[in-house]
Amino acid sequence: MTKIILNGREIEADPDKPLIAACHDNGQEVPHYCYHPGLSPEGSCRICQVEVTEGGRPPRLAVACRTPVSEGMEVNTEAEVAHEARRECLEFLLKNHPLDCPICDKAGECTLQDYSFDEGQAAARTVEPRRKLEKRKDLGDVIVLDQERCILCSRCVRFQEEVTQKPELIVAGLAAKSYITTFADRPMTGKYQGNLADICPVGALTLKEFRFQARVWNLEKHQSTCAECSRGCSISAEVLRRKDVKRIRPMYNEDVNKWWMCDIGRFSFEHLNDPERLVGGLMAYGTDLMAATAPEAIEAAAKVLRGQKPTVIASPFMTQEEGRALLALCAELGVEAKVLQPASNGEADDLLHTGDPCPNARGMADLGFGKLAPADAAKAIADADIALLAGERVLSLMSEHPFGSTKLVTLDTHASLAAGVEVCIAAPFHVEKNGTWINVDGIEGKLRTARQAPDGVHALEDTLADLQVALTGAQV
Amino acid sequence: MSGFETYLLSRAEKGDAHTLDGYKALGGYATLERALKDMSPEEVTAVVKDSGLRGRGGAGFPTGLKWTFMPDPEKDKRRRYLAINADESEPGTCKDRVIMDDDPHGMLEGILLACYAMRCEAAYIYVRGEYRHQYERTEQAVKDAYAAGIIGKDIFGSGFDCEVYMHKGAGAYICGEETGLMESLEGKRGHPRPKPPFPAGFGLWGQPTTVNNVETLFNVPFIVEKGAEWYRSMGTEKSPGNILIGISGSVNKPGVFEAPLGISARTLLESEDFAGGVWKGRKLKAWFTGGSSCGMVPASTIDTPMDHDSMMEIGSMLGTAAMIIIDDSQCVVRASEVVARFYDHESCGQCSQCREGTQWLHQIFRRIENGQGRLEDIDMLTAIASGMAPGKTICALSDAAAIPTNQVVKHFRDELEEHVRAKGCAINGTGACAHGHSADNQELEAQA
Repeated sequence: MTKIILNGREIEADPDKPLIAACHDNGQEVPHYCYHPGLSPEGSCRICQVEVTEGGRPPRLAVACRTPVSEGMEVNTEAEVAHEARRECLEFLLKNHPLDCPICDKAGECTLQDYSFDEGQAAARTVEPRRKLEKRKDLGDVIVLDQERCILCSRCVRFQEEVTQKPELIVAGLAAKSYITTFADRPMTGKYQGNLADICPVGALTLKEFRFQARVWNLEKHQSTCAECSRGCSISAEVLRRKDVKRIRPMYNEDVNKWWMCDIGRFSFEHLNDPERLVGGLMAYGTDLMAATAPEAIEAAAKVLRGQKPTVIASPFMTQEEGRALLALCAELGVEAKVLQPASNGEADDLLHTGDPCPNARGMADLGFGKLAPADAAKAIADADIALLAGERVLSLMSEHPFGSTKLVTLDTHASLAAGVEVCIAAPFHVEKNGTWINVDGIEGKLRTARQAPDGVHALEDTLADLQVALTGAQV
Repeated sequence: MSGFETYLLSRAEKGDAHTLDGYKALGGYATLERALKDMSPEEVTAVVKDSGLRGRGGAGFPTGLKWTFMPDPEKDKRRRYLAINADESEPGTCKDRVIMDDDPHGMLEGILLACYAMRCEAAYIYVRGEYRHQYERTEQAVKDAYAAGIIGKDIFGSGFDCEVYMHKGAGAYICGEETGLMESLEGKRGHPRPKPPFPAGFGLWGQPTTVNNVETLFNVPFIVEKGAEWYRSMGTEKSPGNILIGISGSVNKPGVFEAPLGISARTLLESEDFAGGVWKGRKLKAWFTGGSSCGMVPASTIDTPMDHDSMMEIGSMLGTAAMIIIDDSQCVVRASEVVARFYDHESCGQCSQCREGTQWLHQIFRRIENGQGRLEDIDMLTAIASGMAPGKTICALSDAAAIPTNQVVKHFRDELEEHVRAKGCAINGTGACAHGHSADNQELEAQA
């Protein structure tokens, strides 16, 4: 490590990283646009200017993202000249900016806004007409480009070159007429396009999915883990007015996904906002099903299961905590539970997606659950008198495999419509859980309640424990 | 010409020095052969260093010193390259063109000597795209030299190998910036690279590279042949040697002339040996000292010696020694607008200040010239220029746009203010610019 002096405080800096990283790592914000810790430094936006004194030479202004750290270097991020240089730079960046913040989806998390507020000037001095370029250029299925808002930091171009290693974006044109576009105007491909909207420091690259959906300051952001494959990327689940999940974004995790996530995980939240979800429970009533409260449904389930040896199928979306509760219940029933293991979804790639659609396959195996493919599970259910299907998506994973009229008790987010269904008990979605998943590499991913489950939907481990208590007839 | 020794254009004037036979008949390649046989690479570098030769590409950096920045070949076994900057695009500059047209072998000899001195295994000549004739002449010279065994393997039996490749630019000014040139040679957009790393450590394809200007290398065979002392007998102490000076604009005899560094600019303008005075007997009003990037200085500075240090003293630069003369019937605001338009068009668009600043300067100069200027615009010009330079961007293009702006505000503020008050070009008092330039503007706007 190299010792440098940052604003009068001695700190340790990684000699392999540029000066700006040392500042950020030590809690000193330095404005930046073209610099992104996950991409090669470009040094073109010129906003990260700081005052540097080294080697006995007089202080000079330097762009922190292209300045290597050296032993004893003194850095002053708050020098008058540095503030002035950044103010100038912001004035240039805003000269052609359309200033359409009121209708811009990035407003509120736009660093052009933030830094202008911090150290820009209050009024524009330019009277020239602003640049007119395409305002809604379609870049494919995922992204819309507003060329007028673009500040040409080229993060998106470098992301495609360096992270996906599939260059599709280019800077075209010269000087103030430069603009971002796709090569030969072809639509973009691949499943990492959504990251472009995250790394774009302004509102130039926006998600079609999120355009005009919510003002970002109305979103509550919660740490969670992506459910769409066994990589278990850390995510921020963003909920509008404590109700709908409006956006899922990657959250930096050094060991798993760094700054990125795939579009499969990013856009799989529609089902979380499904108004048709099960609340409370359902019980068989003659040939029909009738609504029940959760305790009623648990009582009914206990009645059906008591004294039976049901086939127990667990969802690979269960958390470790839920898995343990299910194991305890199975011990009570004297049966062995198996976890569903669907086939690869064929989406595996070199970057993040593993192709295994089960976020906790590894964790469930660690707990001792044997694996069962959906077709085999269907056969096991069909062969049994009674079956218990536990956990999120267990029904949808089995949907293509009919299992006759075996009596069923399900614990899922949705009700089962199968012929033999006796009891359905509501279970929460993963964004409503507190718990742990273990990813393909054995790394724990935390689930934190991003949204409270509606009344009548209890934590699955609680439901399983209640069911166990009901089976033994003991008092709670 | 008289009064001083000439060497740079001595062969060009003979007529057939561009052919291999013509060049050899005048003693060409003898210096290279002697150097390869009798001198070590270090000795070649040493004589160039001792001569005090300064780069002719505009910055005036000592060439011999630049060569010593290349890493020690014993310690660094990477491939080493020389890139020749023949992307001569500075407005007003046309000296390299004369060399490539009339004496391409002289340049090649310089290239081979430089490659030998720095142990470069290949040289890349990056020629401005518009220089078609010059490209063809140089390409023919390279072919002939290859056929004669002067380029290639085991040159003159010395065991020294060197390849020379030609590359045609596509018309971008920024590719004349050394790192932009390297990016362009690599097949990328001509976006200058941030420094460090410097080309000598991380150049073409990441290998040690030196970039030299055509005229710089053209000087090398003469220095190696006649020695450092001879070279220092010409020019000034800090800027030795002769230099090719391009004189254009409002003069009787525009052209490229050879003169020792330190010659008075007045001599260049007025002597019959050079430009022969201001056109139609008009009075000098302003002049660009070394191409558009160096900015305009007023007529009162015309007695300044043409060398690097004297030009710094009057707040300008020698640049590529390309004088552009503006007479008293012409408008400096219009000239500034044209210069600003050039940089607005040619900025590569990487750095925020340059991309937006060059456009802004152009817009303001255009408004002032067309009668929509405001008095506060004049101070705005300097405010913009101070945001763009010095040294605030990756390369010097931003500085090159800021310097002429600062110069015109410093020396010709009256004329700018007159334009604002008269709501247009004050020279003919009509509000429209002299020489019907407004019509040009509209046409150019329509094209843009």
